[in-house]
Amino acid sequence: MDSKRPLLLQSPRTPNDQEFPTIPVFPELPKSKSSSSNTVTFSGVEYGQQVDNKTSSNSSTSSSKSAMSIHSMSSSKRNNSLNHSGSKKPVTVRYGSKGGGDSDGLTMSQRELRDEDARLVYINDPEKTNESFEFFGNSIRTAKYSILTFIPRNLFEQFHRVAYVYFLIIAILNQLPQLAVFGRYVSILPLAFVLFVTGVKDAFEDWRRHNSDKVENNRLASVLIHDGSFIDKKWKDIRVGEIVKIKTNETIPCDIVLLSTSDPTGVAYVQTINLDGESNLKTRYAKQETGSKVQPRYTGLIKCEKPNRNIYGFMANMEIDGKKLSLGSTNIVLRGCELKNTSWALGVAVYCGRDTKAMLNSSGAPSKRSRLETRMNYEIIMLSSFLVALCTITSVCAAVWLKRHKDELNLLPYYRKLDFSKPKVEDYKYYGWGLEIFFTFLMSVIVYQVMIPIALYISMELVRVGQAYFMIEDHRLYDEATDSKFQCRALNINEDLGQIKYVFSDKTGTLTENKMEFQCASIWGVDYSSTKASMDGEQGEYSVQALATCNTIVPLVVDTPDSDVKLLDYQGESPDEQALAYAAAAYGFMLIERTSGHIVIDIHGKRLKFNVLGLHEFDSDRKRMSVILGYPDNSVKLFVKGADTTMFNVIDKSYNMDLIKSTETHLHSYSSLGLRTLVIGMKELNTSEFEQWHAAYEAASTAVFGRAAMLKKISNNVENNVCILGASAIEDKLQQGVPEAIESLRAAGIKVWVLTGDKQETAISIGFSSKLLTRNMTQVIINSNNRVSCRKNLKDALERSRKLMSTYGVGNNDGAVANQIALIIDGGSLVHILDSEHEEELFQLASLCSVVLCCRVAPLQKAGIVSLVKNRTSDMTLAIGDGANDVSMIQMADVGVGISGQEGRQAVMSSDFAMGQFRFLVPLLLIHGHWNYQRLGYMILYNFYRNAVLVLVLFWYVLYTAFTLTTAINEWNLGRSTLLKFPQLYSAGQRDEAYNKKLFLLTMADTLWQSMVIFWPPLFAYWKSTIDIASIGDLWTLATNSKSDFNVN
Amino acid sequence: MATNTAGSNDPTLNRRQTKRPKYSKFTQQELPACKPILTPQAVISAFLIVTVVFIPIGVASLIASRDVVEIVDRYEAECVPSNWTDKVAYIQSGADKTCKRELHVEKRMKAPIYVYYQLDNFYQNHRRYVKSRNDEQLRDAGKGNSTSGCDPETNINGVPIVPCGLIAWSMFNDTYSFSRNKNNVTVNKKGISWKSDRDHKFGSDVFPKNFQNGAIKGGASLNETIPLSQQEDLIVWMRTAALPTFRKLYGKIEVDLEKGDVINVVLKNNYNTYSFSGKKKLVLSTTSWLGGKNDFLGIAYLSVGGLSFFLSMAFTIVYFVKP
Repeated sequence: MDSKRPLLLQSPRTPNDQEFPTIPVFPELPKSKSSSSNTVTFSGVEYGQQVDNKTSSNSSTSSSKSAMSIHSMSSSKRNNSLNHSGSKKPVTVRYGSKGGGDSDGLTMSQRELRDEDARLVYINDPEKTNESFEFFGNSIRTAKYSILTFIPRNLFEQFHRVAYVYFLIIAILNQLPQLAVFGRYVSILPLAFVLFVTGVKDAFEDWRRHNSDKVENNRLASVLIHDGSFIDKKWKDIRVGEIVKIKTNETIPCDIVLLSTSDPTGVAYVQTINLDGESNLKTRYAKQETGSKVQPRYTGLIKCEKPNRNIYGFMANMEIDGKKLSLGSTNIVLRGCELKNTSWALGVAVYCGRDTKAMLNSSGAPSKRSRLETRMNYEIIMLSSFLVALCTITSVCAAVWLKRHKDELNLLPYYRKLDFSKPKVEDYKYYGWGLEIFFTFLMSVIVYQVMIPIALYISMELVRVGQAYFMIEDHRLYDEATDSKFQCRALNINEDLGQIKYVFSDKTGTLTENKMEFQCASIWGVDYSSTKASMDGEQGEYSVQALATCNTIVPLVVDTPDSDVKLLDYQGESPDEQALAYAAAAYGFMLIERTSGHIVIDIHGKRLKFNVLGLHEFDSDRKRMSVILGYPDNSVKLFVKGADTTMFNVIDKSYNMDLIKSTETHLHSYSSLGLRTLVIGMKELNTSEFEQWHAAYEAASTAVFGRAAMLKKISNNVENNVCILGASAIEDKLQQGVPEAIESLRAAGIKVWVLTGDKQETAISIGFSSKLLTRNMTQVIINSNNRVSCRKNLKDALERSRKLMSTYGVGNNDGAVANQIALIIDGGSLVHILDSEHEEELFQLASLCSVVLCCRVAPLQKAGIVSLVKNRTSDMTLAIGDGANDVSMIQMADVGVGISGQEGRQAVMSSDFAMGQFRFLVPLLLIHGHWNYQRLGYMILYNFYRNAVLVLVLFWYVLYTAFTLTTAINEWNLGRSTLLKFPQLYSAGQRDEAYNKKLFLLTMADTLWQSMVIFWPPLFAYWKSTIDIASIGDLWTLATNSKSDFNVN
Repeated sequence: MATNTAGSNDPTLNRRQTKRPKYSKFTQQELPACKPILTPQAVISAFLIVTVVFIPIGVASLIASRDVVEIVDRYEAECVPSNWTDKVAYIQSGADKTCKRELHVEKRMKAPIYVYYQLDNFYQNHRRYVKSRNDEQLRDAGKGNSTSGCDPETNINGVPIVPCGLIAWSMFNDTYSFSRNKNNVTVNKKGISWKSDRDHKFGSDVFPKNFQNGAIKGGASLNETIPLSQQEDLIVWMRTAALPTFRKLYGKIEVDLEKGDVINVVLKNNYNTYSFSGKKKLVLSTTSWLGGKNDFLGIAYLSVGGLSFFLSMAFTIVYFVKP
């Protein structure tokens, strides 16, 4: 049986509740065919041979590792709240699944590749591979510039900033001799300085990139050459089609398709921490057909898709020895991963250098622009029109003046149009009326240039860096548990944190810890949460055995300093499975070893080896997984574990109705406690059944096309008439401080929406325990599975809530607060609402509600909900999440916050800010966001104000110089240092609009007034006096300075 | 490697390499700060303080301004003989420009009495004009040839002008002499310019050269034997006025003038303001601690003080009547 290697395919995502969409519990279950032929007996099971007993110490250590509390459960408070919510829940019946956002890696790879979309790789024949198409070599280049291209390219990039172009134009204008208002060279200096500093910074960064490229390109890897031996080759020389050998702990040099590994079954474990930050081990497989080959003799053709950025998908097929095999994302190992726990692996390079998925993904995150800045740009346009208006007024006045004094100009002592010093009398610096006006205009542009504050951009950058520093260094945002500081990944949207109106939160891992704890179980109809009964009896044993075996956990033995004690570390992609495996271990069923062919389980100190005959991976349609185990006594058993909704479809109803009923009751109570439930089933396969399954399984495993579909069909056939063993319940604990955080967010007028993949009951119960939902809220539930009823529901809900709002809202104000509405909507309904004309209604409904809870939503639906709000209001949205399924939502929202938690780092990678705990959102928004926004808004207004005062004073003065732009004030850099010493203001007021159009106009009006105050009193005071230009200029400068300093302080 | 966090972390190990931010009042933004809170009491008392401070200042400056005795005589129209209808032609002609004026002292004037000339509508702050000078040349004898920026008064027949430029060229050249009861009243013309200008901006070894030798004369000529640092009229003139109506110091009378005195002024009406209809005025003025006669400042202080008194009263009433 060992030779019959079952096809192990890595699941796209393990049975994590979050990932199953749809289907509430429905009371009437479709009657499944009762088959009497299959009687499951639980007697006469003998435990097979004892493998060895050496590491019995494992049992104690590992059980101590797995934190479990069987009896610690459910405060009465939670029970109450749950009953309350449960009673109101409308029950809808839905069959089948919608599977909106599920992506199935298998079906992807089964799609046929068209030739023109494909890349052909001849295995071990790089010459032929690269013959027709010149694929990129494996040398990479992350550096942007070379020595030659540096100056033009860097300048080009720097001048993408409009401000610099403006600055340049002003500097060029200053170069014209007719216009030189300020010193010619002095005017270039600031721009040149800024360009130079940025250039040096860029050059230094690029130099470092050059160096790291060099190091990277010159690393060595062993490559197979023609005579069958391996030689060391530099990474940069590896070509597509070559076969590369990687040893343990080595980094993969390019994207390779696995051919064989040291494991006879072709398993390789890789760590993808460099790629997606997830530190758990992932399994990758070599194809059976290639794994058994004699090494140097590989010939074949791989047809794979063109290079793309998707690191979770790969679509290819391989022709080898005339057989056509399909390859999927489990067969490819990407550049940057490390090989672990596998002594060697052989693979053929398919994507090299810049075609590798790692390199294609290395571009930075999409940049978001802050709302404030966008709005500021609008104001800058207003300012420029104001500037043009000022210049026009000046030049028109100058034109009128010139016209009126036309005849006097020649000899006017202060104008002297004519130059008599030369024999021929000519005009002196007079270019005719029209040109004079034109020059006056240009000159006034130069003089009034500060109206558009260029320094503001630089100041804003500086201030933001400072703000980021303060946020990173804040104790309130430091997470003790994971030892992680706050991360500021986007520097330019700090101030948006102060304007958040909507918070969209994921549940698992964000509101909860995503540290799964096995809480209680129902076995054979007995609830093991309240009674202290030990789980004995055969059913109990089988249940635990199912938990220990029916998973994809890889146990790893970890050395400890104490050589006698070894720890077992369960590596797996699903925290639920880990929790179950630890639970099983605590009950004496310890998973010790897993290969693709067998598993070893330590049962109360005895080691038993089971052959894994088949493993039907979890998929999102079936929502269950099953494993077929060959017992040492040659009996064959099938263990199934899955979501209750699908499990009850396959349960043998005839067997024991009471058992099913009680299990169902238990399940219901578990899930209304907010626990994540799984149902476990078992079935003994008789010989004929096994043979039938085995034949089909073999056929499917070797099938070339439609393998995934075939496997699914087979699994559906075999997972039938299962005898129910019980159910398990896992608690995902609420994170510390979540209820308080939600309360204070709500107090701040922020609407908190929770978007989760969980079941409605679970979501509601978590909603209660996190104080998102309160008793006196009216729950509006939309939960329907077809278009028509969904729309009707929506309409009704809208009317109902309008009525509620109007009655209570008009009646008295306190009543309105007490009667808030909570909207609970599920993914199935959202399918019909999003992207249809009903979006508007949903939005109206949602905006009436103070709480919105979306359950059973797919990742893309999360993004859809965010965009629903984002597109319809001008309010700022913030999305917070921790998992890969939150990425789209995080990127869609105005501000994306990633929780660096258990579910890997994809959310963090795509976020703008990252932190350790949900509760940090409160100090982040209410303190830092408030400060950032207030201060930056104030700074912008202050900059506008200061510069406008200057310009206006100059403008008023121009009225007294015959409109000739004499500048009384030559000192420009006023109060720059004041930017850095912003006072530590803390006001309890929440999110006042510190910067908006009204405020801007108000400031500008204030500016007008203040500039007049600065200008006219000194003017009148010194009218008819001996004051000279420099003195009055000093006076005005002083006035402006002290005025603005006063304003700052 | 061990990613499973179920209680396997050693707390002491963690604490040693923690990334916990260091505590300081600065990084935690806990530095002491104060922010004024606008309570009614604070606002009212602020206004009262403004009232209390401003009104005395206003009264004092108004008194000071009223104490200043100022005699202003506009003469540019009367000093053209009535037989000349074209004033510009008159001023450009070689006719005798002497003009006699009488000033009546209405109030006792204590020395020092400052003599100013006041020009109206003369844009000494005009851009072309302001730039038409060369400070290097004025300061340094060796830089006599540097006339850049002085266009159109740089040189005559290739010989550079010192001092060059429009400003110097257009120097005011009316002269005044005063007598009381047939007794000459001397006008002290020393020390009418800024000391810093004399010491640093105008060289003591720089002498006027080739000045006012051009085709048209713009104004005063300079004695070529006196260094620029002692040509105080030039120094005063070269400090360009900020506003189109300005006074420049002509000299100081260092005797008191009694009430009822009649001052006879003999003036040479040389300077051409007729081409741009500028006014010329002769001003005799005493000074106070506040400077010349100007009621504006006192009135401004009084009105701001009065306004804040009114506001403080209004706020007080509002505060007590309807808190």
